Amino acid sequence: MSAHRIAAITRRLLQQFRHDRRTLALLFVAPLVILSLLGYLIRGGASAPGVGIANEDQGPVGATLASALEKSIKIHTVIINPADGETKLKDGSLVAYIVFPPGFSQLVIQQQVIAPEIHLEGSQPGTQAPVLQALQDALTSFAAASQAAVKFQPNVSYLYGGPNLDQLDYFGAAFIGLILFFLVFVVTIVSFLRERSQGTLERLMASPLRRGEIVVGYMIGFTILALVQAVEVLIFSLYVLKVHNQGNVLLIFGFEVLMALSAVNLGIFLSMFARTEFQAVQFIPLVIVPQVLLSGILFPVSTEPTPLQYISDVLPLTYAVNGLRDVMLKGADLTWPALQLDAGVVAGFCLLLIFAGIGTLRRRIA
Amino acid sequence: MSEAFAVDVDNVVKSFGTLRALDGITLRVRQGEIYGLLGPNGSGKTTLIRAIVGLVAPDSGNVSVLGHSMPDLNILSSVGYMTQAAALYPDLSVEENLRFFAAISGADGNVTEVLKTVELEARRKSVVSTLSGGMRQRCSLACVLVHHPRLLLLDEPTVGVDPQLRVQFWEHFRDMAAAGTTILVSSHVMDEAERCQRLGLIRFGKLLGEGSPAEIRAAAGTNNLEEAFLKLSGRASE
Repeated sequence: MSAHRIAAITRRLLQQFRHDRRTLALLFVAPLVILSLLGYLIRGGASAPGVGIANEDQGPVGATLASALEKSIKIHTVIINPADGETKLKDGSLVAYIVFPPGFSQLVIQQQVIAPEIHLEGSQPGTQAPVLQALQDALTSFAAASQAAVKFQPNVSYLYGGPNLDQLDYFGAAFIGLILFFLVFVVTIVSFLRERSQGTLERLMASPLRRGEIVVGYMIGFTILALVQAVEVLIFSLYVLKVHNQGNVLLIFGFEVLMALSAVNLGIFLSMFARTEFQAVQFIPLVIVPQVLLSGILFPVSTEPTPLQYISDVLPLTYAVNGLRDVMLKGADLTWPALQLDAGVVAGFCLLLIFAGIGTLRRRIA
Repeated sequence: MSEAFAVDVDNVVKSFGTLRALDGITLRVRQGEIYGLLGPNGSGKTTLIRAIVGLVAPDSGNVSVLGHSMPDLNILSSVGYMTQAAALYPDLSVEENLRFFAAISGADGNVTEVLKTVELEARRKSVVSTLSGGMRQRCSLACVLVHHPRLLLLDEPTVGVDPQLRVQFWEHFRDMAAAGTTILVSSHVMDEAERCQRLGLIRFGKLLGEGSPAEIRAAAGTNNLEEAFLKLSGRASE
C-alpha cells in the first residue's frame, strides 16, 4: 500500500467531479430537493380528506359527534344528504361519509351502543386512517363527557374493495405500472445514449433512414420487450402475489402499453440532455423520484398540499396510476368517464413525447 | 451544379461558437476519382465530410452530392460514409451488423459478397467486441460498401490499421474507383496521399491547394509530398 498512489486515485476522482459540474450539482442539490418535496408533502399543511356527515338522529348524540368531527383537523367535513353519499364517493369529492341513523341516540342511551354507519371509498391507501381516527377522537371525548361506558360498533361498508384489501393491493396496482415505466425508461435512455457515443447514430443519420423511422423502430422494439415484461409482472402479481384485480386484464395491459411507449420516448428525448451514461442515470432522481412522490402512489393526490396538487395534475404517472387503480380496485371499464380521462391523458402525453423524441434528433444533427 | 461532379462544395462556411471550422471552402470531386483530403488534425476535414453528407448544416454556401442539393435523404442511399472510429454495434456479430446496415440502405442481398471482399467470412458469427482493431475497421468498411454506394466518403479509414491491411484497403478503393465509384478520403498520412488522383490540402477550414500529387510537389518546389504539404500550409499561416 502506497499512500502516494492511493492519494493519486482520490485526487483524480475529485478532479473529475470538478470537471463534471452537473454531477456535482446533482450530488448536493438533489437530496435537498427530494427531502424538501417529501417534507412539504407530509408537513406542508396537507389537505385533510373530505368526509361527508349525514345526521339523521333525532336525539342529541348525533349532533354532538357531528360537531366534534367538524372541529377535527384530521378530516374536512361536509354536511350531506345520505342519498348523495355514494355519488360523492364515486366522483372522488369525498373519501368517506358517516351517517348517524335515525334512533342513533336512543341506541346509545338504552343499550350503550354507538353504531354509526361508515361508508368508505376504499380504493385509496392512507385515507381511511384519518377518518377512523377522527371518529375515534370524537367518541373518546363524548365518552369522557358523558362518563358512560359505551360500546363502539360501527357498520363499515366499502364502495370498492373491502376490508380484505391490504397495502399490497393498493401499491401493487400502482407498482405494476411504475416498474415498467422506470425500467423501460432506463433501458431506452442508456441504449440511445450508447447509439450516440459509439457513433452508430451518426451512421444512421447519414443513411436514408428518416428520423421518424428511427424513433418508431426504437419504440416498437422496446415496447415488445416491455410487454413481455408486463405479462410476466402481471402473471406474477395476480397469480403468485394474488394482488386484487376486479377489472379487465386487457385494460391493465392497455395502460402498460401506453406507459411503455411514453417511457421509450421520454428516454429518447432526455438522452439528448446527457453526454454520458453516467449523466443519464442522474435523470432518475430528477425525473423518476418526484413523479413517484407526487403521482399518488404513496400519498393520495387529494391529500397533498394544494400547490403540489397542481404539479401532480400535470404528471402523466398520476393518471396512469389512477387508471390502473381504477381498473384493478374498482373494476373500471372504458365507459367510466374517469378512466377515459386517465387513458386520454396518458395517450396524449405519449403522443407529445413521440414528437419530442423525433424533435430531439433534429436538434442534435442538422 | 452539374452531375459532372460527384461532390460540389461551394463557398461553405460553418462556425461552432467562435471557431470557424469551415471558412469559405470550395471543392469539387469528379465522378469516379479518388480525391484525397489532406490536412492536420483539427483542420476541418471531418466537418467538411459531415457537411457533404448533410450532418452539418452550413452557415452559408451550398453542398450538392451526385447532382442533388444537400440535405437530401434520398441520395444518401447512394452514399457510403465511414466515420473515423469504427461505428458498429459491439454486442452484435459481424454479420448482424452488416445485415442491419444493408437493411437500412435497402440492400439486403449483398451481405455475403461484401463479407468476402473484406475477408471476414470466417468471423461472420463473431461478436464485434471480440474482434481486433483491424478486423473492426474492416467490418466498418464492409458496412459502407454493402449497399454499393456511388460515392464513398471515408474519414481517415486507415487510422489504427496495420500497413498490410492498409495496402489491402487501398486495393479495394482502387478497384472500386475503376468500377466507377467516386471516393473522397481524408488522411494525414502522406504515403496514402500519393495513391490519390487528386489532393486537396485543407487547413484552418480553407482549401490551400489542389491538384495531383505531382502538381502539388511542383507547386511547392520539392520532391517530397510531406515537405510540400508543410511548405504550403506554412505559407498560409504567415
